[in-house]
Amino acid sequence: MKAREWGLWIALTLLVAAAVHLATVWYLPHAIMRVALSRMGAMNAIHFQNRPDEHSRGVVRPSPDLLYSACPFDLSKGPLRVRAPVPNDTYWSVSAFDADTDNFFARNDRQADGVVDFLIVDPSYRGPIEGLKAISSPSKRGLVLFRVLIDDEKDLAAIDDLRRQAQCSTFRPAAGDLSNRGGR
Amino acid sequence: MNTAIKIVVTLVVGTLLGLALTWFFVIRSPFAGGASDGPWRTNLLIGSSGGDMATRASVAVHGLFALNRSETIYYSAASDSDGNKLKGNCTYLLSGRDPPTRWWSITAYGADDYLIPNPGKHYSVSKNSVQRGADGTFEATLSRAAAARNWIALGNGRFSLTLRLYNPAPQVAKDPGHVALPTIRKVACT
Repeated sequence: MKAREWGLWIALTLLVAAAVHLATVWYLPHAIMRVALSRMGAMNAIHFQNRPDEHSRGVVRPSPDLLYSACPFDLSKGPLRVRAPVPNDTYWSVSAFDADTDNFFARNDRQADGVVDFLIVDPSYRGPIEGLKAISSPSKRGLVLFRVLIDDEKDLAAIDDLRRQAQCSTFRPAAGDLSNRGGR
Repeated sequence: MNTAIKIVVTLVVGTLLGLALTWFFVIRSPFAGGASDGPWRTNLLIGSSGGDMATRASVAVHGLFALNRSETIYYSAASDSDGNKLKGNCTYLLSGRDPPTRWWSITAYGADDYLIPNPGKHYSVSKNSVQRGADGTFEATLSRAAAARNWIALGNGRFSLTLRLYNPAPQVAKDPGHVALPTIRKVACT
């Protein structure tokens, strides 16, 4: 082969390499999110995870000083309603991640007044929201994640009790309001 | 060589090279780019949708479901203050004072990004659990053998640390390279 021809094939190889590299970097978050969601259990329900230890293999680099509660969601059957009591003076947060792993919403205990109650909605949703705060999700599938700090080991039971009062479920508007759903 | 073989070789070599680039820059090296304070590295784009494609992929691999910088700033260290890789067969002394934040913790993770097995669950030290000296500074021991206090247990092979700052003071996001985070000094290796 002549030098010019070699150059052409090397250039083509590098082009393929660049395309494969960009495609995998772009696709990686989607793939990781898909696996993480599938490992968490039923959609539109809350899962109270055990305190992280060496056996926790669901999500990388968990903090052993926090209790996590996860709520994988799918908005194709309607909005997700998230309700939870908020502790008084302990770090607590609720956050939401889209199918691309981006963090599109977060509230901590200092920004919430004792309780949170809101909806995660698909941007196309036109149904009733019953006066609740509606947060638009960039994707139909995603994850709501609660974190609460174990401030002091002796408070563990109380912190655990409080976090287990959190709820996640598909939002069911009150009867009679259904005519509003979609299509407008 | 006929053209068909050349095309196949181009595609195979190109694909392997592309996968190797992703493995090297995204999967192998945590949180590439960003600021550093001693051995501690952070990337303020973690958790924000403004993050570029490479940051997002890196966070998905090494820090899935991380929060954005107003909520939490994450630093990680894979080497000591002298720039040598952190290894489980060595003993390290971590010393410093409380960073400017509402709450902090320092946790060790194995090469697989999970907590390091140890019977007493000595995975981390935090603002609430760390024992300080009279001057407010603290020293933590990272080692396989148990230490009397502020002990983070290590295992075999490489490990890395994550420093979490929950609700950090605004100055951290403004100047993440000058927070005076704890130093990590190697004491001895076996």
